[in-house]
Amino acid sequence: MMKMRAIRRMISVPILILFLSSCASDLDYNQVNDIKLEPVVVSNLAYFDVQANQFVTGGVEQNVIFATPTVAIFNEKYFTDNLRRVELFFEVNNTIRRNYKIDLVFLDKNNQPVHSTNFIVRAYSGVENLVKKTEIFENTSLDLLKRTTNITFTLTMFSGPQLSESSMGSIKLRSGITAYFILE
Amino acid sequence: MRKIILIFGLFLTVGCFSQNKQILYNFTSVPQSLLTNPGGDVKYNWYFGIPLLSGISANVGSSGFSAYDLFADNGVDFNLKLRNVIFSTTRKDRVGINEQIELFNGGFKIVGDQGDSFLSFGMYQEFDFFSYFPKDIAILALDGNRDYLGKVFNLGDLNVKAEMLSVFHLGFHKNINEKLILGARGKIYSSIYNVNSTNNAGYIYTIPSTQGVYEQMIYSDLQLNTSGIAKYDDSDYDSNVVKDITKKAFLGGNLGLGFDAGLTYYPKKNIQLTASVIDFGFIKHSNEVENLTLKGTYRYEGVLPKFSSGGVPEDGYQEFKDAIPLDTLYTNYTTWRPTKFNTSFQFSFEEEVSEDCNCLHYDDETIYKSAVGAQLFVMSAPRTPLVAFTTYYRRKIFNSLQMKATYTIDSYSYKNVGLGLSSMFGPVNFYILADNLLEYKDVSKANSLSFQLGINVILKNNKK
Repeated sequence: MMKMRAIRRMISVPILILFLSSCASDLDYNQVNDIKLEPVVVSNLAYFDVQANQFVTGGVEQNVIFATPTVAIFNEKYFTDNLRRVELFFEVNNTIRRNYKIDLVFLDKNNQPVHSTNFIVRAYSGVENLVKKTEIFENTSLDLLKRTTNITFTLTMFSGPQLSESSMGSIKLRSGITAYFILE
Repeated sequence: MRKIILIFGLFLTVGCFSQNKQILYNFTSVPQSLLTNPGGDVKYNWYFGIPLLSGISANVGSSGFSAYDLFADNGVDFNLKLRNVIFSTTRKDRVGINEQIELFNGGFKIVGDQGDSFLSFGMYQEFDFFSYFPKDIAILALDGNRDYLGKVFNLGDLNVKAEMLSVFHLGFHKNINEKLILGARGKIYSSIYNVNSTNNAGYIYTIPSTQGVYEQMIYSDLQLNTSGIAKYDDSDYDSNVVKDITKKAFLGGNLGLGFDAGLTYYPKKNIQLTASVIDFGFIKHSNEVENLTLKGTYRYEGVLPKFSSGGVPEDGYQEFKDAIPLDTLYTNYTTWRPTKFNTSFQFSFEEEVSEDCNCLHYDDETIYKSAVGAQLFVMSAPRTPLVAFTTYYRRKIFNSLQMKATYTIDSYSYKNVGLGLSSMFGPVNFYILADNLLEYKDVSKANSLSFQLGINVILKNNKK
């Protein structure tokens, strides 16, 4: 009997010591609700590199060319829902000896313009001539931008030295997007 | 989104390791030690576990951080703590949980002319979760890619598996001669559900370019296999989860086979060697299977207007979605159980002049009061095996009280001290084993904790 009691003590004492001496710092799992992720994602928006001879068809200059590709990215709900700010970066590099105007018109699904921007590009004179622009969209302007389904790119060529099928040079546009998200 | 983060967070907080049962292993006064070595040198006539109470074990941990690091109520902004945790962990850090509850367990000795045999059987339920820390994906979610131009984000960091299953087992061991005991155990696994995404590869990188603004490549070879959960996705499904689980637990789930093998060998009376392989087996998933894949390669250039007449305008984003589609497949798959390997060396001393004569047997528990030993544990894991080394001291305090103290080094901790006690009150055996005792001074800062406890009824024949 004495032995049984001793055994019980042998077992219970360490267990008691373990649990009485153990402690736990205060934890607050509700902090999960404070989570706020702010990733900043960069990607390409658009790119073209139009050769000088693309402005010539059958020996005749085409002074206006355009394209209206679809842009699906703004229609993704998970993309637009948490978007807080967008920066669009554009850079035009012209190596054709003609002046240009580039018009970008952002259209919604009803073909209504929601945003437009343009670039006046000077003729190439032998030195690199970069035209850069950054546009920032927040709040109302961002809401409009999110409705974009298509962008019309229009290149208007102004008068100057005659272009032929063998003319050198190109007009190049590269555009990137920086998207600021807030997920909470 | 918040829900996903919350679930992820919960996983992390309970956050383990391996299924190392270093205290239970070769602690033969506890019948459950037979589940860690079917060739264990047990001396019972028969035993049975008290249903549901005979074997309860849990093993939780996280190698990179503790619950305290993330959830301490210390006034520090949660997002700052989250950042610190993400940037202080590596893709090798892991989080795991293992839990087992025995539904029933029993065994009896078969006396034979050429050495005794022992038959043991039972059923237990097991839950496993194992995940490496998906570091690169966490950084992308936290910061995006703007400040990481040139960095290759590794999508293979995603490596996670979870499973709930029940196991039916039948083990047999035989005393081949006075020095050698061999044992084996067959197992039937019935998987209640399985989630497995361990063979992922892929990368994303963004570098400044002269062509577009960026050169941006995505290569994705991601696959998530699931079984037993697809129908709960369907909102029309009138679910009766309890009924479903019960049915699947009793061989109605995805079935698999496995075996354990082990031995105990006494080269000398006071020297003992043991080894075992546990859960060498697989489960074939063919019911309620659903696989999600995200596979493909794409160089994302954005919108590419085509000015030439007749050209079809390209939308890079749509092309990208077509190039790396999210597909749902229904292909059967096979998972391998985490296989465990144990081995030990033990030296016994303090020979005891026995009160009840038991001297005919190589019974270290009754002949020797004390023993010291070393154990090695290796477990298969999705990337590299987990290894743990344990030294221990075992002592018979009274005839009916055994103690085993362990010190374990593994990749998570070099100060893991454990203690196990096994007592007999009449035929009733009660055992409690716990490790990482030093961490109990503040459990929320612990990186890992494990325990096993249970009650059995054991009948030993002392008169043989």
